[in-house]
Amino acid sequence: MIKHLKTYMLMLALLLTGAACTDVIDVELPEGEPLLVVDGWIYDTPGPYTITLSTTAPYFGNAETPRVTGATVRIADNEGFTEELIEVAPGKYQTQNIRGKVGNTYTLSIDYDGESYRAVTNIKPGVTVDYLTYEFKEESGGMDEGYFLKFFGQELETEGDHYHLRMYQNDQYLSEPGQLIFVSDQMVDGNYIHDLQLNWEPFSLNDKVKLEMLVITEDTYQFLLELSQQINNGGMFPNPIANVRTNVVNTSSEGKKAAGYFAGASIDTIEGTISAESGVINR
Amino acid sequence: MNLKKTGLLLVLTLLYFTAAAQQKFTVSGYVKDAANGEDLIGVTVYVQELKTGAVTNQYGFYSLTLPQEVYTLTFSYIGYVPQQTKLNVNQNHTLNIQLSEESDQMQEVVVTAERPDANVVSTEMSANTLEIKTVSKMPALMGEVDIVRSIQLLPGVSSVGEGATGFNVRGGSIDQNLILLDEAPVYNSSHLFGFFSVFNPDAVKDVKLLKGGIPAQYGGRLSSLLDVRMKEGNAKQLSVSGGIGTVSSRLTVEAPIVKDRSSFIITGRRSYADLFLKASSDPELNNNTLYFYDLTAKVNYKLDDKNTVYLSGYFGRDVAGFGDDFGTDWGNATGTIRWNRLISDKLFANFTGVASRYNYSLGIPDGAEAFKWTSHIINYSGKTDFSWYLNPSNTVNFGASAIRYQFSPGKISVGSESIYNGMEMDQQNAVELGIYADDEWTVSDKLSVQAGLRLSHFRYLGGTTVYEYAGVDGDSKAPVNPKEYGKGETVSQYTNPEPRFSLRYSLDHRSSLKFSYNRMAQYIHLISSTTAASPWDIWRPTTNNIKPELADQVALGYFRNFRENTVEASAEVFYKDMQNGVDFIDGAETLLNEHLEGELLYGRGRAYGLELFAKKSKGLLTGWVSYTLSKSERKIAGINNGEWYNAKYDRTHNLSVVALYDLNERWSLSSNFSYATGVATTFPNGRYEWGGYTVPHNTLGVRNNYRVPAYHRLDLSATLAGRKHPGRKWESDWVFTLYNVYGRKNAFTVYFRQNEDNPKQTEAVRFALFGSVIPAVTYNFKF
Repeated sequence: MIKHLKTYMLMLALLLTGAACTDVIDVELPEGEPLLVVDGWIYDTPGPYTITLSTTAPYFGNAETPRVTGATVRIADNEGFTEELIEVAPGKYQTQNIRGKVGNTYTLSIDYDGESYRAVTNIKPGVTVDYLTYEFKEESGGMDEGYFLKFFGQELETEGDHYHLRMYQNDQYLSEPGQLIFVSDQMVDGNYIHDLQLNWEPFSLNDKVKLEMLVITEDTYQFLLELSQQINNGGMFPNPIANVRTNVVNTSSEGKKAAGYFAGASIDTIEGTISAESGVINR
Repeated sequence: MNLKKTGLLLVLTLLYFTAAAQQKFTVSGYVKDAANGEDLIGVTVYVQELKTGAVTNQYGFYSLTLPQEVYTLTFSYIGYVPQQTKLNVNQNHTLNIQLSEESDQMQEVVVTAERPDANVVSTEMSANTLEIKTVSKMPALMGEVDIVRSIQLLPGVSSVGEGATGFNVRGGSIDQNLILLDEAPVYNSSHLFGFFSVFNPDAVKDVKLLKGGIPAQYGGRLSSLLDVRMKEGNAKQLSVSGGIGTVSSRLTVEAPIVKDRSSFIITGRRSYADLFLKASSDPELNNNTLYFYDLTAKVNYKLDDKNTVYLSGYFGRDVAGFGDDFGTDWGNATGTIRWNRLISDKLFANFTGVASRYNYSLGIPDGAEAFKWTSHIINYSGKTDFSWYLNPSNTVNFGASAIRYQFSPGKISVGSESIYNGMEMDQQNAVELGIYADDEWTVSDKLSVQAGLRLSHFRYLGGTTVYEYAGVDGDSKAPVNPKEYGKGETVSQYTNPEPRFSLRYSLDHRSSLKFSYNRMAQYIHLISSTTAASPWDIWRPTTNNIKPELADQVALGYFRNFRENTVEASAEVFYKDMQNGVDFIDGAETLLNEHLEGELLYGRGRAYGLELFAKKSKGLLTGWVSYTLSKSERKIAGINNGEWYNAKYDRTHNLSVVALYDLNERWSLSSNFSYATGVATTFPNGRYEWGGYTVPHNTLGVRNNYRVPAYHRLDLSATLAGRKHPGRKWESDWVFTLYNVYGRKNAFTVYFRQNEDNPKQTEAVRFALFGSVIPAVTYNFKF
């Protein structure tokens, strides 16, 4: 709920002056040294799991950042199983055998450019989505007409649960910064969640809908929160520009730092098609 | 030890002067405005023969104790015709004076009697007084006469951006300003997120900003005192005034209740942009609400020559909403009761009781996500202040104060359908006590000194579970050692002696050197996680974890007047050291967080600079030029690798030029020009990709390493006074304003994002609140 606060604040400010404006400007930025960036997940669903390694690049650019090739990448679990990942494409390292399991801890280790890095995460017990509903709505309150989806399901009884929701429209992940959804159970612990609106940009008739509901660790939630603050900045009450946290650490405290995140999660998926004026998407 | 010595010295000094007083008589009284009976604050009472004098206090009272003799007393006040009186002081006299405003025709008359100017003579430095008459002629955003914005044109004052809440004084944060409205603290000085200030200009008599050398009477904030005094109300006759502006309309009624004994003023203001929204056929607009209003009222009653009672109140509110999706409102409310008592013609006492509240609510009115979140800070305080006009060389001020605070950091209430749980965070309670004494001592013709001590004491009270926090600076810390404290039980307490000292040394009758030192302690802190403060920020008391903030400031100044005191100029340098400043870790959750203290960081701050100021207050052309060269830095473990970094509002250069020109009897013109170095901000030196997003990154982990582009703006306004008809009371004028004349897109923020269409493409974006010139028209009337 607090997530949308800033959007409203900005709209209020715009309303008020009618003169506020944003434009793209030229800024001279220094270039920092390249650091290793880790991007990867491990789930409780069958693999293979992919870890993407890249480096930071000068801020301004319009191409992909450099991929890291030739690194040694391993994932170990707390049951004593270790596996080295295979580089299937430049910077893309894949598992073959390891299978994520709820309750286990996973350590990612990377040897690259004479440095060793570690990242640790774990997989939290999962949750089940009951069903989704959809309904056609006329244009209102600044939102275009179209279909809006709502969520129904039981929040876990335990305290301190965190979730990451991924929406797909016709198999396309909704990847805009404003569509990054992550929630904590702080205000809803143990409640039956109903009528929770999932999308702010409408879907269309016959669209395929998919929702992945991930249970994530508290630290991953913090990571997503900070990420969201940095990729959705601006307006009258901007967040201070700051580095997003990382769980990738150099095994030597004097060594080069790294960025990015290796996260574990359990996943529940629900999918269906919008086929009427309103309806239900069941499991 | 120091404390004892100072106290002893004070007592000895007093004894000495008491013993030395022989055959002396006291002349005392009130100075008022002849037209409406308003008390005049800061009138110079000058004794020609002794080349010494006094200044009227906040209630227009003065007292002079003189050896038996015939004296010439001159009462002078800027914008008023001076009055000279010959008086044979052979007994105690009560001499009440009424001064008349200068009319336009008289402006060129130069008063020949030699009288020094307060700017050069008083020990006060780092102080600026704004006459409301001047403020109301200055160009204002959308024509809304604004005290807080006017203050930002003074030396040493900056802000994080136009349209941001509050102001920053000498490198201090916005919560370090003690804003008093008739002695009541105001916790949020802004309407509509910072666009306008909460003070209705029609209700304000006098505004004074003290940035250093703060007298012992005041405490509780590190950086400044903004003392806003309300009008008492016309004691002579009924007067109605008002205005119709682009944003709001105002109406003021003032009148005597019992002539020359009691009067009242009531004034209100409401914005009406929302009425236009409602009228719009666009459903995106007409569902929305956005308005503010405020109401100010004051009554005074003169019981007899020795006793006056004042009752004043303020209530202001902002309301904003987006249909059924979102609603919020916030505002201040204050109430003050004061009793001035003249215990003797040498001892003036003031007793004050104050209640003040700031609260807000925020929520979604309907549906599954319905909730309402409320938060407040309330304080009740009582204080008593004495001024003892011992002799012409010594005025002793002393008193005591007590403040009771209640903080409600957050409460969530929900409807039955809501998916949210209700909750209420524990209230926090605290008490702040202060005692003080100081002496304004004219040592010789050349030297005068004001020295004093304030002793402050703060108790954080129980009624809640108290934690300590363990962990690494820069990361969220875990609560440990929970401990229950009963209601009223003291969790932690702090005592701080706060020495205050100012000195003036006259070089000649037109110039002086001044020096001041003050230590200030601050026990309440505004926690704001965004770079510009928002109405939803939370005030927190000092606790077992949050320590009192302390500041030591020294300032040195050269003051000189030119052209018969019509131009006053000053140059000041200052250095301020601040301890226990509060900041927070990256990604801190400041709202509804029971363990907020685990996300806070504490550190040092320092600010230093040079301030130049020249003001011309007489003639057809009036105005001022203000220039500040300064630096404000912070050093906090866990931020910027533990190194010093620029405060957000650090602005190296800050220039303001304000000019008002009377073209002829009807037209007057005015202009503001401001230039300031852009605010400090963190820029990335790299980017990376994660999950398909492009993320800005600074590989060095530094904070505020860059500047947004420099800020500059020109505003113009023209006032057309209505024709005056002899014998008719009706007066009116039109004010035409152009804000941001050349339409500069001043960056409020510069931020970085991936291009909307191509996430691999990165760009720097400037957000400007005002991208074009903003015209406005206001019509004012009075009868």
